Amino acid sequence: MSSKNLRTWVKTIIFYEILVGMKATLSHLLHYKPITIQYPHEKRTLPDGYRGMLALLRYGDGTEKCVGCDLCEAACPSRVIKVVSAEVPGEPTKRYAKEYYMDMTRCLFCGLCVDACPVDALGMTREYEWAVYDKRQLHLNKQQLLAIGDRSFPIREKNLELQHPNVAFFNVAFQHMPPKEQ
Amino acid sequence: MTEVGIKLAFTLAQIAVVMGVVLLTVMVLTLAERKVLGWMQDRMGPMEVGPYGILQPIADGLKLFFKEDIIPAGANKFLFSLAPILAFVPAVIGFAVIPFGPGNTVEIFGVEIKPFVISDINIGILYILAFTSIGAYGIILGGWASNSKYSLLGGLRAAAQVISYELNVGLAIVGVLLLAGSLSLVKITEAQCCWIWNWFVIGVEPGGWVPITQVFAFVVYVISAVAETNRVPFDLPEAESELVAGFFTEYSGMRFAFFFLAEYANMVLVSCIAAILFLGGWNAPAPFLQLSGNLMWISGLFWFTAKVYFFLFLFFWLRATLPRLRYDQLMRFGWKVMLPIALANIVLTSLAAYFFPRG
Repeated sequence: MSSKNLRTWVKTIIFYEILVGMKATLSHLLHYKPITIQYPHEKRTLPDGYRGMLALLRYGDGTEKCVGCDLCEAACPSRVIKVVSAEVPGEPTKRYAKEYYMDMTRCLFCGLCVDACPVDALGMTREYEWAVYDKRQLHLNKQQLLAIGDRSFPIREKNLELQHPNVAFFNVAFQHMPPKEQ
Repeated sequence: MTEVGIKLAFTLAQIAVVMGVVLLTVMVLTLAERKVLGWMQDRMGPMEVGPYGILQPIADGLKLFFKEDIIPAGANKFLFSLAPILAFVPAVIGFAVIPFGPGNTVEIFGVEIKPFVISDINIGILYILAFTSIGAYGIILGGWASNSKYSLLGGLRAAAQVISYELNVGLAIVGVLLLAGSLSLVKITEAQCCWIWNWFVIGVEPGGWVPITQVFAFVVYVISAVAETNRVPFDLPEAESELVAGFFTEYSGMRFAFFFLAEYANMVLVSCIAAILFLGGWNAPAPFLQLSGNLMWISGLFWFTAKVYFFLFLFFWLRATLPRLRYDQLMRFGWKVMLPIALANIVLTSLAAYFFPRG
């Protein structure tokens, strides 16, 4: 029997491989550093650019940014969004979203609608705890989406240099407008 | 009459204490297993119920107690109900002959009583082997009576596995019985007094110098004991990745709890037997580590508990480390590796005991 064979034989009869494995588990027991995060009690920090719940945004004066262009609906790969566009009353050149629905059961949080929006009217918040008992609670209307935006973005205005070029145009255009809700 | 009455009362008290301790140990074990397993895998284990999750066994017990008791359609109702009992009773009945502490007698109201062993019968180890074999019936019948393919496969695997490995358990302890010259667990323990090298795993005769080591039998016994209790890496009867839960797939509520208790009580039982047969039971590694006189039972209980818990930790440790064996590997290992080693151990021990006769 060659010495290599002998070595393998000795390793077999003393369960060498198993002992190595047991040493590994024991060392993890002795140097106990859990990677668990006790989720409801402690939450992990979210990365920058986290794509959470979608929301509709407002301008600083409280007017909705959305102009009802339907580009988000076109961009959405899962057909989450439904926009019903209408003229702003008494202002035939301006349009807004009369109704705006999102079926969040289908949303895959890709962010394409946010990219598609020419006026930055859509935003992705950092909310993710949206588990509900009734699926119908995830069919959101415009008021709910605006409410999410209001609570997630209390400071409404972005820095002007970070805004889409179109925003400045529409923002200027809306400066003199009365709030649409009336 | 009074003598019998006192004996009966004392035995009943002993049974109550032992049952309580065993079930308490099982309760602790269910938590300890999840904790140790978690720590070894860089997790925390149960953390929600009570501080650091220490009340988890109580929560589990309550949950199982209030669960619906389902008997699947087409199941054999009688055997389905009988199987958990058949699994549980043999697991706890074995503790009747386990000496937990020193075997000396005390006199209470003029009756000689051994306080730390319920019944020191002279065929103790045979009694345990016989009853653990009955435990296999519980598993097989439970698997068959459930009317489910997973349960049946689990039961069949358990049948083949338990038979193969019980043989190895029986042969592995023969060497110890040869050296001790007795089947009584108290006598076997007393034959291993008083130093660490007098334990049968090393096997030097008290006052002698020839080591008739039983370390191979010890390894065979421990591996076979793991297989016999259906624990990882020999958990084929309940292989969760293949058979859902094996033989107790269809069980729920308290019936499931009985199978669960049986498994853990079996673990404690085989750990006790391993500690008694190979690691000297209540004997300390050195005489000065054992308290003298009337206080001996305290250190005796301590050493016994320490040894048993070492084996229980080994069970968890193996579970955290090893994956499950394949069925053919299991059989080949049992019949072509363990069995020849156990047989060779008997032959060599007999020869050694013949040429170097003990006391």
